[in-house]
Parts: sequence; C-alpha cells; structure tokens
Amino acid sequence: MGLILNLTNNLGEQVVRLTMSKFRVNVKASPIIGAALGALLISASAVGIGHAGDLPEGFAKGELAPAPPADMIEAGKRVYFTKCVWCHGVDGAGDGPGADRLWPRPRNFNQGTFKIRHTASGELPLFNYNEKTPDSGKNDLFDTVTHGLPGSAMPPWEGILTEEQRIQVLSFVTTQLVKDRKFTDKQSETQTILQLGTIKPAEATEDSIKKGAQLIVDKKCIECHGVEGRGDGNAFNLKDDWGFSIQPANWHKCWNFRGSRQDPYNVRNIFRTFSTGVNGTPMPSFADSTSIEDRWNIANFVNSLCERDEEGKPLGIDPLTDKPKINFVVPSAPVEGEISSDPENEMWKKQGRRYVAMGGQITHKPRNFVNRIDDIWVKSLYNEKSVVYLIQWDDRTKSIAEGKLPWAPTQVNVENFGVKEQAPKTGEEGSIAAAQNNYAVYNDAIGFQFPIKWQEIPAPFKPRYLWGDAKFNADILKWEADGSLRSFKGTGWDQDFEERDDFEEKVKLLKSEWKNGQWTVMISRPLKGSKDDYDDYTRFDIGKYIPMVFFAWDGHNGDAGRKMAVSAFYYTILQPPIPQEVYIYPAVIAVGVVFLEGWMLTRRANKKKGKVL
Amino acid sequence: MKALMSVGALIGVLGLLMLIGMIFGVVPSNTVRLVEGYMPMQVLSELAVFVAGFTGLSYLANSMGMAIPRFWQGVLFWTFVQTYLKFRIYPPIPFSVRAMYGVVSFVAVFMWVSANEEDWKKFRQPILNVLDANTGFHKALRTLYLILLPILIGGFSFLTMKPSVDEPIELRTVHPAPPASTKVHGKTYTLQTSQNPYRVNLEGKYDQAYSNKLIVEQGMGRLMAPNANPWDEKAEGYLKYVREGGEIFFQNCHFCHGDNLNGRGLHAFAFNPIPANFTDPGTIAQLQETFIFWRVAKGGIGLPNEGFPWASVMPPWEQHLTTDEIWKVILFEYWHTGYYPRTWD
Repeated sequence: MGLILNLTNNLGEQVVRLTMSKFRVNVKASPIIGAALGALLISASAVGIGHAGDLPEGFAKGELAPAPPADMIEAGKRVYFTKCVWCHGVDGAGDGPGADRLWPRPRNFNQGTFKIRHTASGELPLFNYNEKTPDSGKNDLFDTVTHGLPGSAMPPWEGILTEEQRIQVLSFVTTQLVKDRKFTDKQSETQTILQLGTIKPAEATEDSIKKGAQLIVDKKCIECHGVEGRGDGNAFNLKDDWGFSIQPANWHKCWNFRGSRQDPYNVRNIFRTFSTGVNGTPMPSFADSTSIEDRWNIANFVNSLCERDEEGKPLGIDPLTDKPKINFVVPSAPVEGEISSDPENEMWKKQGRRYVAMGGQITHKPRNFVNRIDDIWVKSLYNEKSVVYLIQWDDRTKSIAEGKLPWAPTQVNVENFGVKEQAPKTGEEGSIAAAQNNYAVYNDAIGFQFPIKWQEIPAPFKPRYLWGDAKFNADILKWEADGSLRSFKGTGWDQDFEERDDFEEKVKLLKSEWKNGQWTVMISRPLKGSKDDYDDYTRFDIGKYIPMVFFAWDGHNGDAGRKMAVSAFYYTILQPPIPQEVYIYPAVIAVGVVFLEGWMLTRRANKKKGKVL
Repeated sequence: MKALMSVGALIGVLGLLMLIGMIFGVVPSNTVRLVEGYMPMQVLSELAVFVAGFTGLSYLANSMGMAIPRFWQGVLFWTFVQTYLKFRIYPPIPFSVRAMYGVVSFVAVFMWVSANEEDWKKFRQPILNVLDANTGFHKALRTLYLILLPILIGGFSFLTMKPSVDEPIELRTVHPAPPASTKVHGKTYTLQTSQNPYRVNLEGKYDQAYSNKLIVEQGMGRLMAPNANPWDEKAEGYLKYVREGGEIFFQNCHFCHGDNLNGRGLHAFAFNPIPANFTDPGTIAQLQETFIFWRVAKGGIGLPNEGFPWASVMPPWEQHLTTDEIWKVILFEYWHTGYYPRTWD
C-alpha cells in the first residue's frame, strides 16, 4: 500500500522506496502476512534447508527472549511515567507533550519499529530482561536506553536510572506499549542475530579504506549519503515509516550517529548498522548483498571520514556532552604578504582549525528548536592589513531564496513575514517534524560579531551575545548565499541592524562555495577602520583576546532573522610573533641553575673534608 | 597476612595497568565511569583501593627481598597522585589546582618519610649517595642530573613564558543576590512574601508539607512516589499542576536543561555558561521558589553583571510564558528532582 502511494511521488524517491520495499516487507505487512511469513520460515527450517547458508553472512538464528515477569512490568510503569511519558506519550505513540517541537520526533513504540539492532532488517530488536551487561550485543534496547541516541533528544540514562530500572522500563515498553507486534510470539517473530562478538574486524588498512571508497559508489550509498558522505545526496525526498522527513547520516559527524553508543569512532557500530539496516527508515540492510569483508571495508571507509585532528587522530569527545571537546579560543596566525583565498594553500593547511558548537537560538522569539547546523569549523590568518576567517560547515542543502526577500537586509524582526517559531502543541500534522523541507526557502548565511571598542570594556564585560546591546555595540559581518557580504552595527537583539556602507567596501569575500554538502566561506576584514580610532569598527590589536560570536542560518530550515543557530562566546586572538625575551630568560635561568649546582657540590665536598666555610 | 597482601598487590597492579592503559588510550577511558553526583566518593574509594594495592605490592616486594627504597616509594607515590589527578578526573582540573594538590601531597609524602629518624635517614640516603658520588654508578647519575636539571628548568620556564592562546579564566557568580521584588506581566512580586499559587493541598490552601509528600523519591533513579502519578486521570490539584508544569517544561526547557533536568539537553553542548543542573543539590535545592521565579521570568538578560548577562542564553521567560505557566514549571522542577524548595524561615 505504501508502495502505491509512493508511485505518485517523484522518481528519485520511488527508486529508493522500491529498493527498500524488499527489506521492509514485514514491517508494514498486516499480521496475517507476518504470520504467514513466520510460518514459512519455520517450515523452511523444519525441512532442513534453513541452515547457515540461508542466513545472511555473519548472522545466526536466535531464540526469542522470555517474557518479563509482571512485577517487573509494573515497576517499569513507574519509571516510564516519571521519565519517559513526557516525550513518548501516555500510550507510547511518540506523542507526549514534548513531541511536536522535536525533530526527529520521539519514537512511536506501538509498531515495534526500532532503529538500532543486532537483528536482521524488519525484525524486533533484542531485549532480554535477564541480560544486564551493557554493550553485550545481546540487549539492543537496553544499550539504547543506556547510551541514548546522539543527535536526537534521547539522552543516555546511565548514571540516572539504575540497570534494574532501565530493564524494568523496557519490560513495560516492550509488553504494554509495543502494540502491533509481540516480542514473545513465536508464530510471527524471529530473531536472526548478527554475531558481532565473534566476527573479527578487518584492519583499517589503506587498501581496505580504498576498497570501501569504491564500494560506497557500487552499492549506491552515495545516492543518499552524498559523494563525500555529508548526507546531502537525497536530502529532500526521504521519509520514515510515519511519513516524516528524514535525512541520511552525515558520515563526517560520527558523534551524531544514533547507533554510536557513546563510542563514535568504533568501527563496529558502523558495521552493525550497515549489516542490519535501520528499521523504519529508508536505510536497508546490506547483509544479503555484501560479504563480511566488504562490509568491513565500507565500515572502515565510513569511519575514516569522521572528522579528525591535524594528526589524523580521533577528536577528543567530551564525556559530558558526547560531542567533540570545545576550545573557546580561535587563534589567528601571522603570515607575510598576501593571504591565499585557496583553503588548500599551504598557509591554510598549516593553521589548525577550531570546532565551534552551534545551538538553536532559543532565547527570543522566533525560537529555533531544530537547528540543522550544529557546528562549524573555523581557521584564521592575519597579515599587516587584514584578518581572514575561513569558515566551513556542513549543510545538506544549498539554499538561495528565489527572487528578492520581502525584508531589508538590516531587518531582524521578520516574524511578520512568516518566520515563526513552532507552536507547542499542534499534533503530528502541524509538528516541527512535518514542517521539515516544507519551509519557504531563504538564504543560507553565516555571521559573526565582535564588540566595538572592546579596548574600553573591562573584562569580562561584553556586548550581549545576541547582536550587542544599547551600551556596548557589536560589529557584525554577515554573508548570505546570494553572494552578499554586509557590515552592520548591532545594538540589541530586537533592534534592526545599522548598515555601514563605508566599511563594506573594505571587507572582502575571498571565497564562497557549496560543494557536496559543505559550505566554504572565506571573509577578510581590515584590522582597523579608516582612521586609527575605533569608535565604529572593531580594531584588532595583536595578542589581545577579542570576544567573538558566530551565527548560522540554513535557508531550507526556514532560518531568517533570529531563527538561526548561534554559538557561545569564543575569543579570537591575533597570535603575536614570539618576543626575544622568551628565549633569553630561560637561558639565563638555566645558567643560574648550573651555578647553584656548582655551589652546592663545592659546599658538600668541603663539608665532607671537614673544612668550615 | 600474605594472602591478604597478595590480593592487595593484585588490585594495585590491575588498577595501575588500567590507569596506564587509559592514559595511552589502550583501555577506553569510560571502562569505569565516574557517575555524576557520586564522583567524590568514587575518587576517594579508588584512591583507597590504590593505597591498599601499593601496601600489598611493597609488602610482597619486601618479602621477596626486593624492597623498594623508601626514597623511590615516596617519589613514585607522589608521581602517581599527580598522574591520577591529571588523567582520571573529568572534567579536567586546571593546572593551578593540581599544583595545589601537588604541594599538599608533597607535604604528606614528606611527613610520611620523615616520621622517625630511621625512616628519614633511609629516605635521605639515596640523595646523599648521588651527591657524594662515591661509586661509578652514582658518579654517572650525578653527572646526568647536573646536565638534566638546567635543561629541564630552562625548558619549563620557556614553555611558561611562551605566549599561549589558552582560554582566559573568567569566574561567574552562579546564584547572584536577588532583588527585593520583581515585576512580571505588570504585577509586582515581593520575593520574601510571594508563594507559588499551585503548591496547594486538596482544599486549595498553600501547603508545602502536603506537596512534599508527593514529590519523587530521592535516591538512584528519582522515581515518583507510589500512588502519586501526575499522569493518573484522577490526579487533582498539586499533582495535576505538576503534570501541566511538566508539559510546559518539555515544550520549552528540556532543550537545554535536559530530559532529566540535569542540564544536558540537546543544545546544551554549544552553550557557555552551561545550563543549570537541577538535580545537583547546589542549585534549586538551595534556593527559594521565588528566587527561581525571578530567574525564570527575567532570564539571562536580567542577571546582575556578576552573573554574566551578556553570555547566558536563558530566555527571559516572561516573553514566552504566562505567570501561571512559570509557577507550574517551577512546581514541576521541584517535583521531578525530589527537592523541597527552601523557605524563608
């Protein structure tokens, strides 16, 4: 039925849905078909052809786990109505009070469709109330509750709920809230389990990664995940089982993988997801069509794409947030002469980049509950005249507004033009998840602000992060995807920008390019205004910490005005060349130590000889 | 005795191997997780286990005739404490604090090795040996020290003098002094006398004793009290308001303050200062409800300067919620964390 409906959609989606249908047949199928299919499988094994050869490579038949005892279910109800009901709803339909402002929406348990599993595509996940070891590979739902689902609102519950409580609440969910299927029904359910514990991973050699790079083309992974794996391949047409827009994973942000289990650089997680597919989404299982070796090659390649530091090591992950650790300083290194506009130039490659985390602007209306840009990467260089910022961020959609925008570039209060925040309670149809990809398209944009006259503001005072305030004004630069780069003065979160044409002539857009799901924007600005004073424009003094805030807009998310992503306060600093004293003083100190040693040894020797000084 | 000491030694070796493994990234650093709220106790007991381990190790070494000189015991133990502080504890402790612990543990080690004359002599001997350099080995060692010391000290001062781009440290007051009164939606609330209009018993009277009986239970998990389910269709009065407050919380606040009110919401990782953790006994448990009302209504922008109003992304909720909604959210926060609001008397 879902298939017929989809035929009316455009071709791109049709192809995906058709390939998917094979793997998802018993998810959507009626109980009768499900039962028939189950019977078929059982009879097949009875006849004796159901040995390992029939199963996808690396899988083995498993037994259904026993039903949890009634007291456990009852105890779980108490956990559920304290912690879970707020998003997942009274009936577990994923329609709690928090649901309409979330994307992805909270899981609807009723259908028994769960994403992260060790079981074959379409099967229920593993849940066994007797298995309390985390990451055993024998209790998928327990691991999900333990580690949460990064990139969604589901947090890790380890350290909050005890193991016992996590098992209890799962006992309640799997027996009372999963309504269309039954975890213990041998007639309709099977368990075909990926034997991840016993499969030896292939080493991530150059050869393996190279093979993986070819395989993701052959297996058509790039059709959805994009040529560079930034999830930009089919960003508009993918839907989950409930008809909500869904986006392919961005392989460069492994810490946002739902199945990363708080261990994002672990290649096994990728191997598992690739082998089992993601139920309820267009991501199929590739176990039938791909040998174990090839699956490792692909997993190794995908893992190699995740962002790493300059030495190629995994980024440090903050265990409190499960995101890369943040350094709040964006250093700018000195260079002689012209600064290259090519990010691949040696001077840029030498300079380290900084991870800038972006959250939704949730302070003032219209609040942005779902910000599709959650981080940007920043590098900076300076010479005697200007400072240049190279900003790169992943955005699955290149967005340029059609025609002229109805508001002036200086206007920040654009709610009257339809840029509204999501209402708190709308029901599924009006929810923020349903609105994805249906927004009016505005310009992608990036902006950053510095305080004006920061030299006169005693630390730690700053102009407010949101476009300054009446007392301390902000110097704002904003680039939009229509190619414009503008200079503004900000005097408050609800105050329209003041345009500054004279400065605009001096700022330069060195590069702006959208390629394979990533924006690269390079902006140059003079170190100071025309005069030496700094009344209107931020003057950059070498070696000083200058507060800096970043803003990002995703045009396909309907971002405009205050509906945007925003960073915390960062500091930018023009790194001074190392002064001579730094070399001289330590040398003097070292010589002093040598003298001290000489003195001590002489004294000791004299004392031993019985001489008195 | 020997068996006991052997067990101690085994624990010590295992612990050390694990710590070294974590430092070099062989053992995943989350093998033994530090659980929030229990961390100080965890750290203390881990250190106790290590001390027991070392005692066992040293005993075994003694009985095997391979006693470790007192001098090296002291040096090794001090190094161990520093290593532990640097690599085990998260979020990392700043260098200045570690230096303080370093001095304290140095003094402790010093007191230990100089507890009596004999011990002190034993401790001193290796140092004197090297200083006097009577044997060839000690002579070589002395020469080595003579060369290494100036290089190390010079190098260290070079590193400290080199201009760095470390994050500047800025200290912010988390709970600034509240004003005497606050005006929200045209009505003035005196913080000392205002009460949460929804903290009421079944007769509709303000009754904290009544609501205290219905909040979630303290202890791991913080689950609702039996027969006090706000989602019960028959729930009335206080519990019904808790549910309404929870609905508002999960439509507005959890994005930063998190599903478990522990400050780990979806957007929290991006912001600095980080969102308040209500489950921490140092936040709402320490404060009066009216203080929370003022903070919620006026948000980050309404903070006095010592609270860094320019950096906080906390919304002034009077722009988004009605006064009733704010009171209900506060009611929910206390219910869900299992804390009593502080009273004025």
